[in-house]
Amino acid sequence: MMEKTKSPEESRKLLDKITFDLTRSIVKRDELTHFWYFILVMFAAVGLWGWGIQIRDGLGVTGMRDYVSWGMYIANFVFFVAVSLIGFLISSSLQLLKISWSKPISRVAEQIAIAAVALAGIIIVMDMGRPDRFLNVFLHGRFASPIIWDVTVVTTYLTISVLLYYIPLIPDLALLRDRGGDDIPKWKMQVYKILSLGWKGNDKQYKLVAHSMRVLMILILPVGLSIHTVTSWLFAATLRSGWDTTIFGPYFVAGAFVAGAAAVVILMYAYRVRYRLGDYFEELHFDYMGKLLVFVCLVYLYFNINEFWVPAYKMKTAEGIHLRTLFTGSYAPMFWSAQMLGLILPILLMLFPFFRKPLPLTIISVFVLIASWLKRYIIVVPTLEHPFLPVQNVPDYFKHYSPTSIEIMITIFSFMAALLIITVLAKMFPVITIWEYAEEKGIDKEILAEPKK
Amino acid sequence: MKIKLLVVAILFLAQQGMAQEWLVPEDQKNIENPSEYNLANVKKGKDLYLLNCKSCHGDAGKNNGLPLVPPPPDVTSDQMQANTEGELFYKITHGRGGMPQFETTLSEDDRWRLVNYIRNYSPDTEALLVEEPPKKAKVLASVNEAERVVEVFAEYQNKDSVYVALAETPITIGAQKAFGILPIGEVLTNNEGRAEYAIPETLIGDEQGMVTLVIDLGEGFITEDVVLDASKVGQPKPTPVLIKEEVLWSTNDNIQTWLLLSYLAAVLGAWGTIGYVVFQIFKISRAGKEE
Repeated sequence: MMEKTKSPEESRKLLDKITFDLTRSIVKRDELTHFWYFILVMFAAVGLWGWGIQIRDGLGVTGMRDYVSWGMYIANFVFFVAVSLIGFLISSSLQLLKISWSKPISRVAEQIAIAAVALAGIIIVMDMGRPDRFLNVFLHGRFASPIIWDVTVVTTYLTISVLLYYIPLIPDLALLRDRGGDDIPKWKMQVYKILSLGWKGNDKQYKLVAHSMRVLMILILPVGLSIHTVTSWLFAATLRSGWDTTIFGPYFVAGAFVAGAAAVVILMYAYRVRYRLGDYFEELHFDYMGKLLVFVCLVYLYFNINEFWVPAYKMKTAEGIHLRTLFTGSYAPMFWSAQMLGLILPILLMLFPFFRKPLPLTIISVFVLIASWLKRYIIVVPTLEHPFLPVQNVPDYFKHYSPTSIEIMITIFSFMAALLIITVLAKMFPVITIWEYAEEKGIDKEILAEPKK
Repeated sequence: MKIKLLVVAILFLAQQGMAQEWLVPEDQKNIENPSEYNLANVKKGKDLYLLNCKSCHGDAGKNNGLPLVPPPPDVTSDQMQANTEGELFYKITHGRGGMPQFETTLSEDDRWRLVNYIRNYSPDTEALLVEEPPKKAKVLASVNEAERVVEVFAEYQNKDSVYVALAETPITIGAQKAFGILPIGEVLTNNEGRAEYAIPETLIGDEQGMVTLVIDLGEGFITEDVVLDASKVGQPKPTPVLIKEEVLWSTNDNIQTWLLLSYLAAVLGAWGTIGYVVFQIFKISRAGKEE
């Protein structure tokens, strides 16, 4: 809700406080920061070392064999594509619907979207046996192949996400350039000066920013839907039991919102605690995010019921084998813990206001996020272990997949690298759009453009 | 692993083949050959030999069998000829070790014809299959596209080293195809050594109906085949539609138009809009320089 325009005196005071609070992440540099960077860089480096081994020795170092040729990497890829979709929901859909509580969250969502979709692209390269031939995908790709559509849509979504992050950032950069404290390192100020493009804050510029954002928010709707629908088509375009279903597109999109919303809650909580932003990421935001999470979980539950109940009623031979593996077979522990701890239980808990408070909601979100990852693993691997080809006289390790330590190292790399991108973004730029927030609080644009006293 | 297996297999075969003599039951030894020893049967036997036996036993009299253990003996060898007809028949029928059985693949009559062919090289019988040394020959051929006729003229070198017309000799006409020569017909030369072959209407050529004809004198003559390059005497080859039409799971050459257009429209739409937004960023920058 927009507050009344405040007097210039009041406005200046409030703006100073907002700027001070929201630049804390940029200024703050203590031992914990160094330790955090150290952990991220170290684990990422270990993962890169693992990738080096994989490039040297080939994909034989993974657990993937003739039948299971998509393992943990592709499950991880689908997870990251899923998480990235939250940018589409919060930064676009909710903004276009003029749901004002979501405004401070939109940059958090955009950070997650950029990090996740960038890593999704990198994971695909890491899944390739010959990454040096990556360009051939573009040079000789077949337009009829869902893989080409996926490559196209991932790069498009990454570009739009970066633009949607950058354009509302321009006025903030100018604000930091003009009003930034002396404690901001010089090189960062230099970056702000270049990236703010000589922003003056006149009406024409604000209009252009609003127009561009609107265009991007509308553009991201079809592209965002495509990115996860096309990813689901990589599976659904085959005849394999467990993948050969028409609801895979919306099923994946609904699942993506669950994973992404959980990730946003966790990141919000981290910022709230670490940068003392309790006044910005309020209990109200967590409450609304909790309600949003319940809603998307219910939609996902609905698709889950469709996805499993309909084939389970018919139990066609191949589908039956697949479903038995999930329900009572070797994947049952993973399947039921993901469904119960990551979907059913969170829905029930989050119906109570207590569990929508920041800390309980964050703990629930961690469970939801882990379950989302396991869910992707369950979608990718068990189906491949039951090929339609007659499985006769093949070595046993063709039929069962378990990831090797190299695969786990590279997967850990992807998480560390994603967190590194998010950390760098949070360390470089405010985690909430200052000018939008100030506008909400009734601060006049004239005041925003004033240089520091 | 593979080498070990091979060694074991060779040892096994060697032990089977060399250690003991190949004994044929007494009652089988002296069975009489029911098929008559005549030229027709020997010729058929030869054809059967070329198909079924030559790959291991080699050409008769050349001792060029495969280097197996034990070695497959030459047809003319004493080892082979020492067998009675009944023994030969028994051995062909049942096989042993490296020698396969032919009980299930060749009829009884054919197996006896093979025995007749081997008999041809026996010192005790008169050889029916007289193989003359090949003669030098010359073949001239041309194709008349309008009348769809191949005209052939053949000569050979007689005993006095003079080339004379080759009369009453079959000449094979074939068409060069991707995987070899397809025989399309045979024609006999007349007394002047000439022959005319009418090309069948149904002959199929390449996309333009061009056929490369090969004229061959067959065994017994030393000459090069006459190859008549690309004459327009065949039907145009019907192009298989499957690889020409638009299909989903194929290369970009056969992509479905609607698919390509949808893809390009979506990509151009999205990236066009992105380009427009980037242009707005330039406008934001320019708007800052005004005033």
